[in-house]
Amino acid sequence: MPGRPLSRRTTLGSALAAPLVLAACDIDPPPSDPTSSATPEPPEDAELVATVVAALVRARGVLEEALSAAPDLAPVLAPVADAHAAHLDVLVGAVPDSEVPTAPRPSLPPRPAAVLANVQRSEQRLLRTARTGCLDARSGDLARVLASVAASTSQHAAALTGSAG
Amino acid sequence: MSVLDALQETLAGEHAALYTYGVLGARTSQAATPDLYDALTAGYRRHRARRDRLRVLVEEAGGVPVAAAAAYELDGPLLRAAQVEAAAVTIEESSTEALLALVAQSVGPVREWALTEATWSATWQLELGGEARTWPGAPELG
Repeated sequence: MPGRPLSRRTTLGSALAAPLVLAACDIDPPPSDPTSSATPEPPEDAELVATVVAALVRARGVLEEALSAAPDLAPVLAPVADAHAAHLDVLVGAVPDSEVPTAPRPSLPPRPAAVLANVQRSEQRLLRTARTGCLDARSGDLARVLASVAASTSQHAAALTGSAG
Repeated sequence: MSVLDALQETLAGEHAALYTYGVLGARTSQAATPDLYDALTAGYRRHRARRDRLRVLVEEAGGVPVAAAAAYELDGPLLRAAQVEAAAVTIEESSTEALLALVAQSVGPVREWALTEATWSATWQLELGGEARTWPGAPELG
């Protein structure tokens, strides 16, 4: 089947940065003051990526709290945490000078079933954010990456539902 | 690759998927493995609807929908339930990959439809015995 191979963050970063360069060439007149030190605009999808990164960080916080509240769930939750880490790695690297934000640790009930239900809700929320990001992305390559993030999140959410019995 | 190219390639893949699902269903006993039979039936119906939608999208994009081949080559004997499941997972993996390529080439309603279908194909793999992946449809990112 035809894929559109990307080489992780480098290519994705180029995909994000390219529209800014093209826009500068095609649209913008030369600056009247060449010594102007105005801060350049970020790539057009950078804000969108930041939103998905923040959602991933929030979901990671829920998972960490869940593992703390119910350590027996580790075999179920570890694959989800691994996927989030890989998604963060690619998306954070795609935006120059970006930093991983922090999220407040949520308070979860001590019962495993309730913990799992919280994680499931958190993953559904992340899925909606990734999906929205995919649909709004100007870069087709970024849209493809976010579509894969959404598909992975949906897979893991289904696996969590299966493990909940 | 244009959006029309991506639509045609996705449609060609759906023709193959439908053929393979038909073979898998024919080799699966509804009495002996009802859950697998139901999963294959649901998959066949989803891909049939997807093929029909793709034909419309190709025409709307100004193309002539690519036709199905008379037959498609299948891997292995596909006699045991585990072999049938593995083949069905492979169908969904291939569909996810093609649909993600369509996501990259499209915008608006076509991208939204492709995203929905890609997410379904990825998730349906678990019903067929597959596992959750980090980069479904884009394994080179892993």
